[in-house]
Amino acid sequence: MSEPAAGSPRLTVGLAQIDCRLGDLEANLERHLAWIERAKAAGVDLLVFPELSLTGYRLLHLTTRVALPPQAPLFDRLAEAARPMTVVAGFVEESDRGLLHNSAVVLSGGPKRHIHRKLYLPTYGLFQEERFFRPGRRLDLVPLPWGRTGLLICEDLWHPELARRLAVAGARLLIVLSAGPGRIGSGDVPASHESWEMLCRTTALIDTCWVVYCNRVGWEEGSFYTGGSLVVRPGGEILERAPFLDEHLLVAEIDLRDADRVRWRLPLLADERTDIEGPNGEGLNP
Amino acid sequence: MSGNVRDRLHLNAPLAVAVLTSFIRDAVETSGTSGVVVGLSGGIDSSLAAALAARALGPDRVHGFLLPYRTSSPDSEADARLVAEHLSLPHRKIDISPMIDAYFDIEADAGPARRGNKMARERMTILFDQAKKLGALVLGTSNKTEILLGYSTVFGDNASSLNPLGDLYKHQVWQLARHLELPAQVVAKRPSADLWPGQTDEGDLGFEYATADEVLWLLFDEGLSPGEVAERGYDAAVVERIVTFERQFRFKRRLMLIARLSGSAVNLDQEIPRD
Repeated sequence: MSEPAAGSPRLTVGLAQIDCRLGDLEANLERHLAWIERAKAAGVDLLVFPELSLTGYRLLHLTTRVALPPQAPLFDRLAEAARPMTVVAGFVEESDRGLLHNSAVVLSGGPKRHIHRKLYLPTYGLFQEERFFRPGRRLDLVPLPWGRTGLLICEDLWHPELARRLAVAGARLLIVLSAGPGRIGSGDVPASHESWEMLCRTTALIDTCWVVYCNRVGWEEGSFYTGGSLVVRPGGEILERAPFLDEHLLVAEIDLRDADRVRWRLPLLADERTDIEGPNGEGLNP
Repeated sequence: MSGNVRDRLHLNAPLAVAVLTSFIRDAVETSGTSGVVVGLSGGIDSSLAAALAARALGPDRVHGFLLPYRTSSPDSEADARLVAEHLSLPHRKIDISPMIDAYFDIEADAGPARRGNKMARERMTILFDQAKKLGALVLGTSNKTEILLGYSTVFGDNASSLNPLGDLYKHQVWQLARHLELPAQVVAKRPSADLWPGQTDEGDLGFEYATADEVLWLLFDEGLSPGEVAERGYDAAVVERIVTFERQFRFKRRLMLIARLSGSAVNLDQEIPRD
């Protein structure tokens, strides 16, 4: 495995497409530690776990019982085990104000914990997130050794202005943690995956950035998660796709400079205008 | 028109089988049980459920039970045996006549509906007892069409520990049964609960499964109103009948109606996942 110098735009990403034990922090931590070892052996620099990977997704009234503050010792254990890798994992965050968030934490070497709180909480169909979580209020770039990176959780990607803002602000890599429930129809791939693949490829195309999408697998309450995690090149071509339904470590070498190279011939972000006048909707809220 | 709806009901069969076998495997493994028990009626639903379980777990871990009453059709029992042998399942026959007759000796005026319900519940108690004995789970066999129409005996054939067919319309059950190459005579015969001689599902319901599947799809998957469904060429009286069934039997899908007194009522204030 090549050994890029600090500040190099080249890195090996690993997507830990795992199953999770609902409401069982200890079992999930053990699983994370095992997959961290696997990823290290595969030469991974940046390892991404799915949404709520430390707790499972469909927690309902178990949500309060698995909430953790970002200073929890569990994260020290994870960060220590991961070194020198950077690890991104999902958890239920209890803020210092006592609010619960569906969050992702980035553990990169030192004691610093970068947190992204999910901004859009789906509460429709089988989703009930607003009953149990408060939405985040901030969108930030994460300073990783390879460059500034965008971090989104599942539904956040369905609101394309977030990915756009991150790309315009300098993200050449977008990490998406997901717990996307599966549906099938007549197609060869799960119908749920078709939407996600379209979304990831479109984002990589119009925001001219790498998209790394880690979805989980397994069953909760009769609903399965699709898997099919993706690494999509700037411009929308799929570099790697994980299998459906089964746990899998998807590994890909990526070069963030590819985003710059695509942007030189497809300057969509540089051309972005903020001065256009016209209809300014208030959304569909009455 | 209806061809179009039927196309949309069609599933990718290998993918559906992969997902449903994964479901059965996961449920058995996470519950720490040895396998499943399934009541084999010789009909398409229980045959498909058993076939999926055999693929998921291996046939040795799928225990088939033939549970006839003395008036049950001999063809049903022969077909159930055929399916069990086709899938290489361990299977056993338990005649429910003595239990049923003992009760109706003291309730002699009961009509066919009560007798049929009692038989369905007798089979349920046997399956749960055998599951306890074998350290296994009871495999459900109710399909989505039946569930939406309420065409089942509550706490009878609709009772199970896990149900791989509950989100499959009848058309999709037939499709997967053909894909898994279940015996042709089982796939071809007219569905019947076989609770009394000559009974057929479609006779009881008053419409065909093909129609029910399409109407239910348009109502629940596409979100059309009953009037909009009828405008697409379906008999308005049949649409009305389907809508009425769906509304009338909703209670069968939500078991345990608990009167809430506290702020911690089970299933309302404390929605705790079972997994």
